[in-house]
Amino acid sequence: MSSSTELTEKKVFLLKSLDGVIFEVEESVAVQLEVIRELIEGDCARPFISLYNVTSEILALVIEYCKHHAETCSGGTSATIADEDLKTFDNEFMNVDENILLELCSAADYLDIKSLFELTCRTLASLIKDRTIIEVRKMFNVENDFSVVEEKAVRKEFAWAFK
Amino acid sequence: MGKKNQKKKLKLKKLKNKKKKAKAASSAPPPPSPPPPPPWLELPREVTADILQRLGIFDILESAQNVCTTWRNVCKDPSMWRVIDMKNLGRYHLFSYLDTRCRLAVDRSEGQLTEIYIDYFATDELLQYISERSSQLRCLRLGGCSEVSGDGLSEAAKGFPLLEELHFVFVKNCNEGIEAIGRSCPKLRSFTLSESGYKHPQLLCDADALAIAKSMPGLHRLQLLGNNMTNEGLQAILDGCPLLELLDIRKCLNVDLSGELGKRITQKIKDFKRPDDSMEDCEWDPEIFDCDEYDEDYYRSSEISEFSLDNYYDYDDYLHYSGSDYDSDGGVDPYFYFD
Repeated sequence: MSSSTELTEKKVFLLKSLDGVIFEVEESVAVQLEVIRELIEGDCARPFISLYNVTSEILALVIEYCKHHAETCSGGTSATIADEDLKTFDNEFMNVDENILLELCSAADYLDIKSLFELTCRTLASLIKDRTIIEVRKMFNVENDFSVVEEKAVRKEFAWAFK
Repeated sequence: MGKKNQKKKLKLKKLKNKKKKAKAASSAPPPPSPPPPPPWLELPREVTADILQRLGIFDILESAQNVCTTWRNVCKDPSMWRVIDMKNLGRYHLFSYLDTRCRLAVDRSEGQLTEIYIDYFATDELLQYISERSSQLRCLRLGGCSEVSGDGLSEAAKGFPLLEELHFVFVKNCNEGIEAIGRSCPKLRSFTLSESGYKHPQLLCDADALAIAKSMPGLHRLQLLGNNMTNEGLQAILDGCPLLELLDIRKCLNVDLSGELGKRITQKIKDFKRPDDSMEDCEWDPEIFDCDEYDEDYYRSSEISEFSLDNYYDYDDYLHYSGSDYDSDGGVDPYFYFD
């Protein structure tokens, strides 16, 4: 039946990354990207949606995340099992290097995926926590741009944090 | 249905060479050139703020804000300081040091402070300092504080006209301030008073209950744990606080619910916790303070404000702990060391 074909077609969307790679995703994945929800709901998402701030490497990860979350939530398992499953998945998913983590965070912010944004922010914060200033600078490649005088004052006041 | 399922199982495909279709894209402005690899500083400022905010007051003040000028500027923004959480810090620092840091955080909030949590080191002076600078405060929680007075609390409360939530967990002398606080904070919806009165059930005292009934008519949630009130006090609360939805009187061992009063509560209160209900899920369990003669001694000690909670480890012999004394996240509950 033509109407059902149309319905099935509507379930798939094409997302184009910054570097021109196109990903095919189901509606359950696409709607998690709040930034394009309106386009999807308004049926303006054809033939594909360009996501300018996200590279294909990161977009692939984002889609993997959304797909797993969509499947787990609609899988018919009990809420507790689904929660456990998502927790395990999230933990493993966050096991990437700091730069990827930053890009994922940035992408989650841009694409407006709240749960992924929360997850990446929490993970980044946990990486900074209890680290010295020097370690944090090194880990995230942040340049020390304080003037000599400022730096001296900081080192004096927070000597322990530089150890 | 078959088709749908099939689609669901489809692996994600990378479809290349779709440039022709790009021209027809209705939602597509021209793509800009790729950005450089994003080090932290490429993140929008508010995202950096969101992340750094999760670090807590000490990591912000002593580490994050000294990493670079961008982070420092983010850390100086008043919006970063709307919530000041100084729970569980006693064991790392001297009280005087905590006091200084707390004041600095309050200064940084520039009047935007909405929630503050202080364990152990609060004093009348500190509360006054906060009170004079935080008229937007909605939630105040003090835990294990022995250096505040009823007058100090009453005075400070005058600066919190919007206060909605107030929690006193083992705060010595706070009882004397209840009525005045109630009057100064007409928007109060949630009040907790957790004590260890159950250790002395022979003492009957309705003063707290009567003060609450008289001055806090807007309460929706009341947790009165380990209090020595009797049925008379409880009756007064029911009459004085008609909006109550949650009433938690666990460990209030002088109340008798077998008669009319018990019935009335069950009919009226949606969420009622009885004196002998389990304390397992209780965030404010007074038993964790379990004050024996030792802690009376600690409290009278003039040294109390001078040494950090580290020192409590020396008194391990007096601790009788069980699994429930640990936070759900695996951390050690700070109150515990007040034994």
